[in-house]
Amino acid sequence: MKCKKITALLMAAVMTMSLTACGGSGASTSDTPAEESTDVVGGGDSGDAAVEDASAEEAPQVAPGKKGTIEFWTVFTGADGTSMQAMVDAYNATDPDYTVNHRAMEANDLYLKMPLAIQSGEDVPDVCINHVERVPLFEEQGFLTDYTSFLDGSEVKKENYNPKAWAMTDLDGGHYGVPLDVHTYVLYANMDLYEKYGNGVLDDGILTWDELKSVADACLADEIMPMGMAWLRVKFLASYAQLGGTLSTDGNTPDFNNDKAVQVLENWNDIMNSGYGQKEGDDPWQLFLAGKVLFCPEGIWMYNNVKEAGLNAQMFDYPVFDAGTKGNWTSSHQFVLPKNDSRDDEKTMAVLDFINFMGNNSLEWAKAGQCPAHVSIKDVPEFQDMPQAFLADENDELKIYDYKYYGYAVESLDTVLGEVLWGRMTPQEALDQAVQETKDKIEMSE
Amino acid sequence: MAGTATKKKQKLTPYLFLAPHLLMFLIFFLIPMVYGIYASFTKWDLFGSPEWVGLQNYATIFTNTESTFYRQFWNGLKNTVIFVIICVPFQVLLPLIIAILLDKRPKGRNIFQGIFYMPTLFSITSVTLTWLFIFNRSLGLFNHMFGTDINWYGEQPWAWITIVVTTVWWGLGGNLIIYVAALSGIDRSVIEAASLDGARGLKKFWYITVPSIKFPLTYTIVISIVAQFNIYGQPLIMTGGGPSESTYVLLMYIRNLAFGTGKSVAGMASAMSTCLGLIIGVVSVVQLIMMRRQED
Repeated sequence: MKCKKITALLMAAVMTMSLTACGGSGASTSDTPAEESTDVVGGGDSGDAAVEDASAEEAPQVAPGKKGTIEFWTVFTGADGTSMQAMVDAYNATDPDYTVNHRAMEANDLYLKMPLAIQSGEDVPDVCINHVERVPLFEEQGFLTDYTSFLDGSEVKKENYNPKAWAMTDLDGGHYGVPLDVHTYVLYANMDLYEKYGNGVLDDGILTWDELKSVADACLADEIMPMGMAWLRVKFLASYAQLGGTLSTDGNTPDFNNDKAVQVLENWNDIMNSGYGQKEGDDPWQLFLAGKVLFCPEGIWMYNNVKEAGLNAQMFDYPVFDAGTKGNWTSSHQFVLPKNDSRDDEKTMAVLDFINFMGNNSLEWAKAGQCPAHVSIKDVPEFQDMPQAFLADENDELKIYDYKYYGYAVESLDTVLGEVLWGRMTPQEALDQAVQETKDKIEMSE
Repeated sequence: MAGTATKKKQKLTPYLFLAPHLLMFLIFFLIPMVYGIYASFTKWDLFGSPEWVGLQNYATIFTNTESTFYRQFWNGLKNTVIFVIICVPFQVLLPLIIAILLDKRPKGRNIFQGIFYMPTLFSITSVTLTWLFIFNRSLGLFNHMFGTDINWYGEQPWAWITIVVTTVWWGLGGNLIIYVAALSGIDRSVIEAASLDGARGLKKFWYITVPSIKFPLTYTIVISIVAQFNIYGQPLIMTGGGPSESTYVLLMYIRNLAFGTGKSVAGMASAMSTCLGLIIGVVSVVQLIMMRRQED
């Protein structure tokens, strides 16, 4: 009898342990990549068996008259994915030697799968889109191929691109990215409301925080919200860059818990304490689209929302402290070459040919709301009529962060910035915590 | 000789039947788990080779009060435990009450059972998004219907309430069908006898119903606790861990460390998750032992 009970108890314990571990995906967290990698190996789901291994590229799967395929991985899974596919199709229609296979996936997947593929040496994509902030770390980890030796013989030229976006991937004496676009966080103004309450503050094309405060009370009297305050990370980075701030002075140790950063956050406290922002829990962009907000910063890629809402809104530079110093947080999608010893130079040149084509035919990309980084776009009349056209001429105004540990820094900022906005943390406390967190993570990863 | 061979064969047969499951268990559970525990003793970015650091990760989590990881681990654990404590009683009692009501065989019993079970079939994302809209401050159903202006996600205790309501609603059906089945298995004659002896409502429930469904009850409690220790999706989508990281649960920290925006801090993440796994294991075993004792 006793024996039976003990057995039963043991069984139950085993059962719970197994449950624990099932649920405790924590324990297995670190193993997901292993599964991911098998997925990569087996998952050439582009319906193209040529990805099975590098040598198979010459295999009969390649269409007659073609030399092979270029595997192109991007992070465009939304409406922009359709635009990208259209551009890829246009390239393939020119009958190139190598057909491009476009495979879109979630950004986080790509940033996991790309390094794993490079490491395993199997199923390595020939060209990928990376956000520019990712490039320095990938370069340091040795995942990327240097463009330099290939540029001479190709049409991809430095002077054809937005200089700022190009310069961001000049790393360690090499060059590791070709920009597809710059995408910027700008100020949207509801022009109907501006007519009524604006008092001409945008006559010079730029809104200062003081100007905002000067018109805000009139808005509040009519229950119009003067300024939307969401996606705080980018707001912080824009204002902070205007003041000349950097995430790290020496490129390694984070030190953004300084007076400039405090000034940015105190300005927020000012705005929120006066009731110029939204109530906590409200989504200012939705309210803006509903016509209840005068100014609302958002990404240029959100313009389609505005169009769909039928709102009479215009884009301006991000608000400033001082009208003389503009600064817009900007990121850039870059073509990078994943390191792959079995890719020959001929194919790499074909990739550059493809990149060049994408640059010269980027109107489609502009239609997706982006600002293409290739200069040729400026000559396209259709682009000149687009609301983001003014960004194509900007350079110093575009603030791109290239800090190696950008990911850690912004993640830690995400946790605290809301607390500052809603007055639950002082700016200094918040910044100290964020810097500490960034430092600790750097220490753990080195 | 031939006899032993048959015996051996007989001994082998059950293992052959078990083999497919054991194999899956080994590949998808045991090996990853062991590897995860191994990773917790290393510094690892998922891509390079892990560097052995011994107990350093654990030392940081348990003793280095200055460290972000110390703060994250304890805050995450605290929030997770709070959630388990608030959520599990509702997750057990509410389905039990509904099951008892259904056991009275009201009209449309099956329809109700179906309705209550339905949310369990939805994915966590769709469930959470639904409630996200209901609790939206300006546009949401709740504030609109009751004329309130509650900031559901940004203030406590509302943030916990939204998470618990969502979770209970989502998981109600699972426990419910177990209880319904268990209740219908109780011998009616025992209840009748108790009634004749003068037992009433609560007493009948406590002395007849509860002991009769003791095993399913224990089982669901253990399962619910284990499940809720692994809370992740609800706070991630609804509150983002706020306000003031008060709903930032342990798995959110672990996930961010291992698969965040920056380079992976997988070793530390594994250490945290190993601790979480151990805690869940210990809690479950203690519960089972206590239940057994009661029986004796």
